[in-house]
Amino acid sequence: MKNKLMHLSNETMNIGFVKKVEALSGSSVRRCFQCGKCSAGCPMSTFMEHPPNRVVRLLQLGQGQRILAGRSIWYCASCETCTTRCPNKVDLAAIMDALRKLSWDADGPSKESYVQLANRLFIENIRTYGRQYELRLGAAFNMKSGQFLKDLMLGPKLISKGKLKMFHSKNKNIAEIEGIFKRIEEMRKKGEAL
Amino acid sequence: MTPGKKRLSYSYYPGCSLHASGREYDISTRALFKALNVGLKEVPDWFCCGATPAHNVDELLSLSLCAKNLSLAEEVEGDLAVACAACFSRLKTTQHHLKEDDSKRKQVEVAIDGPAALNKPVKHILEILAREYGLAKLEESVKKPLLGLKVAAYYGCLLTRPPEVPELDDCEDPSIMEDLLRALGAEPVKWSHRMECCGANFTLSRPGVVLKLSNAILESARFAGADCIMVACPLCHGNLDIRQKEIKDAYGAPDSTLFGNIFGSELHGGSAPDQRDLPIFYVTQLAALAMGVASGSLGFESVITDPKPLLRDKQLL
Repeated sequence: MKNKLMHLSNETMNIGFVKKVEALSGSSVRRCFQCGKCSAGCPMSTFMEHPPNRVVRLLQLGQGQRILAGRSIWYCASCETCTTRCPNKVDLAAIMDALRKLSWDADGPSKESYVQLANRLFIENIRTYGRQYELRLGAAFNMKSGQFLKDLMLGPKLISKGKLKMFHSKNKNIAEIEGIFKRIEEMRKKGEAL
Repeated sequence: MTPGKKRLSYSYYPGCSLHASGREYDISTRALFKALNVGLKEVPDWFCCGATPAHNVDELLSLSLCAKNLSLAEEVEGDLAVACAACFSRLKTTQHHLKEDDSKRKQVEVAIDGPAALNKPVKHILEILAREYGLAKLEESVKKPLLGLKVAAYYGCLLTRPPEVPELDDCEDPSIMEDLLRALGAEPVKWSHRMECCGANFTLSRPGVVLKLSNAILESARFAGADCIMVACPLCHGNLDIRQKEIKDAYGAPDSTLFGNIFGSELHGGSAPDQRDLPIFYVTQLAALAMGVASGSLGFESVITDPKPLLRDKQLL
């Protein structure tokens, strides 16, 4: 971390945010003593500006906004290596989930948009069809991310191999899924769920 | 359910991938269970488990989707057999969390408008084969041992992590896949990347991530002298098989490879670096092949990195 001093200020300090992360994840950030095992084992740390142990350190110092402004949380693969290896039982994978949810709900300031777009389309697919319709997922991602040529050669190959279905029928019981989405929205409106 | 006394029988949650991009996993699972005379009945009208994208941004949604699927599974008799490592992980995580956290369970019960059914054992195909059917009986049932086939057993992330959830094997040094391979007559290789992440669902949003991580896995398997890789997850299969040519195009230059960097030209002795195609097999494809199931009914035609030359070479076709 040469020449990378961490500038802290009271203005960016937000302890309420840290408490929310702890409540959502069910894991304390204060137990971390910065051994760095999580970052050592993280397959994605090379893609992150704040490796996992620094994400926790920033939370300990109340600097949640610095984490949300970056890409790190969206480059976590949820491989659970950090949670598995933490000697202090900090559930870092759950903390990452909590951070993403808070960023997502606030329509986050993060620069990473492709991962968020893929997540949104994936969840929309569940609500519309009940199961994943992979061809639509890929096509919609290319259209909405403006990468019209992405994996262009792969699509026809996968269709000819039977790996992508052209047509997809909805679940018969699709109304039950809509019910789940609606009831979760209602609970959140009433403040009964995070 | 002791094998030999009563016919084993399971309810079955295939998951979205097994009906599309991972169809050969579904085909070979059904063929294998039929060959072993183990019952397998699909849960009717199951939904997507939400996989990684749902729990990434909305834990309550993820838990609710899985709880809904668990209650649908109650309609079919037998423990719930799951083939996809991601679905397996999500369903087990849901049971684990909701049993521990009453307030979350109550929220989920409101969301699914019914009680959460958390007591049906959820089992991965690997543990059904190795523990419930049993390695000894499996070994007896082998008709065509996979002799001379060197296999890199790839666990990936979700079969063993986090340690409290999957209850499948040790979270850092598992052996269930290697044990299974030995029972089938194959030779598991020792290699470095069997527990590393392949890049999973970044295949849609950031394929560059997949190319980098999956390249390291393929390199490591080649370096260990493996002929092929065995997986138990349709996402790992997709990344290692479908993107294999792309990975070679991106990282094929001699000195950009992981082990090329470490050992340099010493390793290659001045000759061309190891660029072999590595066929990626599902555990059920290899097991069914060893049970003498006709190769035509194992979905090999759907795979991108053609496994047939290798199988012919080892006289397994």
